[in-house]
Amino acid sequence: MSKDILVIGGGIAGIQSSLDLAEMGVKVHLVEKLPSIGGKMAQLDKTFPTNDCAI
Amino acid sequence: MLDVGRHPNIDLLAYSEIEKVEGEAGNFKITVRRKARYVEEDKCTGCGACKEKCPTIVPDAFNEGLGERKAIYSWFAQGIPSTHTIDSNYCRQLQGKKCGVCAKTCQAGAINFEQKDRIVELTVGAIIVAAGYDVFDPVKIPEYRYKKIPNVVTAIEFERLLSASGPTAGHLDRPSDRAIEAEIEALEKKAAKSQKLVAKFEEQFNQSSADFYAKFQKGEYKDDEERNKWAEKYKEHLTIVEPLEVMKKKAEGFTAAKRLAFIQCVGSRDFRFYPFCSGYCCMHSIKEAIIAHEHGPDTTSTIFGMDIRAIGKGFEEYKIRGGNHSNISYVRGRVAEIQDGPENNPIVVYEDTKERMVKSQEFDMVILATACAPTKGIYELADKLGIELDAYDFIKTSPLSPVDTSKPGIFVCGCAGAPMDVPESVAQASSAAERAAEVAFEGDVRKEKAVA
Ligand SMILES: Cc1cc2nc3c(=O)[nH]c(=O)nc-3n(C[C@H](O)[C@H](O)[C@H](O)COP(=O)(O)OP(=O)(O)OC[C@H]3O[C@@H](n4cnc5c(N)ncnc54)[C@H](O)[C@@H]3O)c2cc1C
Ligand code: SF4
Repeated sequence: MSKDILVIGGGIAGIQSSLDLAEMGVKVHLVEKLPSIGGKMAQLDKTFPTNDCAI
Repeated sequence: MLDVGRHPNIDLLAYSEIEKVEGEAGNFKITVRRKARYVEEDKCTGCGACKEKCPTIVPDAFNEGLGERKAIYSWFAQGIPSTHTIDSNYCRQLQGKKCGVCAKTCQAGAINFEQKDRIVELTVGAIIVAAGYDVFDPVKIPEYRYKKIPNVVTAIEFERLLSASGPTAGHLDRPSDRAIEAEIEALEKKAAKSQKLVAKFEEQFNQSSADFYAKFQKGEYKDDEERNKWAEKYKEHLTIVEPLEVMKKKAEGFTAAKRLAFIQCVGSRDFRFYPFCSGYCCMHSIKEAIIAHEHGPDTTSTIFGMDIRAIGKGFEEYKIRGGNHSNISYVRGRVAEIQDGPENNPIVVYEDTKERMVKSQEFDMVILATACAPTKGIYELADKLGIELDAYDFIKTSPLSPVDTSKPGIFVCGCAGAPMDVPESVAQASSAAERAAEVAFEGDVRKEKAVA
């Protein structure tokens, strides 16, 4: 039985899952195929509905 | 994002892929391939001195090909990890040519052309799939002439044009204008070279080329071998300079795009492609129109859609605010065709369903609100994980357990499961985290307890 968790994909969804688990004290392995995490959201200028900066 | 990079509980394996998955809930054995970056992660400080010196120019995928990067690059400026990567498809050294400029520049000694892929083995109790989506390729809709008419772009390309860190530093320069400007730059370099050649003759004979060439064309100096060479070089020079002048004149009139059209449901709610509504594209068109208006207060936007779907907290208000304060008009109708117009202005042909008339209108730029498509790699990944896909190739879930996949211990969140916006992706992410922790820590409670 392992208590580690694997997250595949480092977009906003994978980042949020990883942070939630890490804050619970769980060890997370986050695998992202691109050179950096961020996914599509990193490509966005700002996000609706608040128009906050995406990164 | 920064928090992920420095959280002691997160082991970040970027530039990596899942190779193999074995086992079951509580005890999965995972093989991960860490692809060679040819840069040592623990040495690279992310300073970027290498990419300043790298001579190899490559289209920048992060900027949707609208800008350029070098063969050694960071995915984007604030990327985590900030470790640079060498693109082996383009790097001169890795293509067997002589170079290695980056290695000479790097103060940290981080460049390693000998680096190989590494294999990492992990044992985990549960898995969360957050592999996201791809933007639908509108080339599949020939009547919209994407890639044929330069000023027809996708919404994600438009995001990069709006971004201060993007290829135009946030100016709404039209792709057709940028292409001409790039051509001017290339021709100016060529012109400077040929000017040098011509200048040599001018010095030698102490005469201007224009004056000489006028006489030469009248038949003077026909037997002079040197002057024949001069005439030839000058003729060549003119074939560069003359079109260059025409282009420069044209470029003087270039202004930022001011009349924008947004076309909704490109690939979505279309039975030829995806019958579903992608959910977020009405909202991102409104957003892009609002931001464009912030950049240029005389910008006007027309959003063409069957209906505008603004379903979410604060969304309808956002839509109305856009209409009232950002020069946005909403036209109810489906766009039939985009035609090429004068001055590279696309013409939108549509049916105005309120007035029951077919109309056409010219714009500076057209933005396509493309569907949320399943990500290319999902078939291979689902196969390795042993999970099922749904009718559209998103990961299969059921309405009462929206983050559970078909295999116990494997969960999904975000657009890997279905099209959704950021707030929904984040909510699902927390939900998937909680479900995964349940499995890893106490066995799946849902197996033993009642399901809603
Ligand atoms: C033009 C445009 C504008 C938008 N604007 C907004 C907005 O303003 N507000 C809003 O709420 N939503 C907006 N959206 C929607 C938003 O992009 C998505 O809701 C969100 O990005 C989904 O996040 P995700 O993490 O599920 O997917 P993604 O962002 O796609 O992330 C998936 C990650 O997984 C990685 N990955 C994929 N396959 C693998 C694999 N096999 N192994 C390892 N890693 C893998 C990818 O490289 C990527 O980093 C917009 C969408 C578009 C197209
Ligand atoms: S969100 Fe709007 S543009 Fe996107 S598919 Fe649904 S109705 Fe069409």
